Amino acid sequence: MRQRLLFILSSLVLLAACESYDCTLYNAVNMYGAFYQDGKAVAINDTLTITACGTDAVLLNRSVGTAQLTLPLSYWQDEDTLVFSINSNGYFFQDTVWITKTNLVHYESPDCPAKLFHTIQDVRSTHDFIESISITRPSVNYETTENLQIHLYSASD
Amino acid sequence: MKRPRTCRFTCILLLISLACLSLQAKGKPKQKDKEKAPLLSGIAVSADLVGFAMKAMGAKFANMEVSARLNLYDKFFPAADLGIGDCHREGAESGNTFSTTAPYMRFGIDYNFNKKHNGNRLFGLFRYGFSSFKYDIGNPSISDPVYGTTIPLVIDGEKATAQWLEFGAAVETKLWSFVRLGWSIRYKARLSLSHPDGGEPYFVPGYGKNDGNGWGGTVTVVFDVGQNIMKAKNKKKEREKQKNNIYHADEKP
Repeated sequence: MRQRLLFILSSLVLLAACESYDCTLYNAVNMYGAFYQDGKAVAINDTLTITACGTDAVLLNRSVGTAQLTLPLSYWQDEDTLVFSINSNGYFFQDTVWITKTNLVHYESPDCPAKLFHTIQDVRSTHDFIESISITRPSVNYETTENLQIHLYSASD
Repeated sequence: MKRPRTCRFTCILLLISLACLSLQAKGKPKQKDKEKAPLLSGIAVSADLVGFAMKAMGAKFANMEVSARLNLYDKFFPAADLGIGDCHREGAESGNTFSTTAPYMRFGIDYNFNKKHNGNRLFGLFRYGFSSFKYDIGNPSISDPVYGTTIPLVIDGEKATAQWLEFGAAVETKLWSFVRLGWSIRYKARLSLSHPDGGEPYFVPGYGKNDGNGWGGTVTVVFDVGQNIMKAKNKKKEREKQKNNIYHADEKP
């Protein structure tokens, strides 16, 4: 009888359940880009500032020696408009870049913040100092690999 | 990464129960142990108390199930589980919501390792589980930290299908007459999960929290109709034996 009681008690204790939840630790969604010139990766030694239309936030502020970019995309807009401004020894260059994309909600669990993933459809620019932009990885998600290659005009031009 | 602490806890409980069963077995008469069980030793129906208790206590998710199984030779127990998985959850900080209520099925077999027919059973169990379900996810407002826009997220009726396998151990003991109490621990391995892009289901009915693998447990009340069938057959055999003995005695000069 004592054994049966012990068995019933242990069964009742089992009713109590433990719970834990895991969220993705690195959960930043950014678009990654890098500068290229004459087919080689380069850094812009001048002061680079990137702003976005539709927000007062400055995405990159007076950065010097920039070789790679990490930029947030808008959650809901179908097209983001970014303004690249370079200040070089008193000379001022500006290029506007339009990024057309689709947005997809990424929902992990009720406990983790919902994020938005994007798929880049098209990128174009005003070609002031940017010669062309190629999409190397359209998916913008938790991965930190390069999405865009920004090709600058050749140094000889 | 956090891991559920249920595993270590349930292993200790399993050991305690095994000790209980072995102690109980010592007191039983040996003649009963040697009885050979018939092919169809009976049918049992059971209900998992954990799911119903969780639902009654207002838990955010619960799997409420009933099972039916055959008893073959008191060794093989083909079983079918039918249940309803229920989950309504809101993230405390994120404000995300997830809800689903859907049925699930499991098929499989239990193997009784206890060779003695003393009322106690130690099972190794195997199950194949399946659920096709719809779920809703949402958030009252998702704010874009850079652009400042806020839009509510409402995605209803997402369809998903999941398949999984369960391996585990279970113990069961006779409480009273044909009423038995048992519990099991199970390792669950997900075979497949198909769902639309973006919104992965948080909970899979029958499987539990959505992950590649996990642990689960049941506490079941079993109504073992088979016990009576076994008893009736044994009584019949005894009567036949007695009759034969009487005939043999009459034939003797």
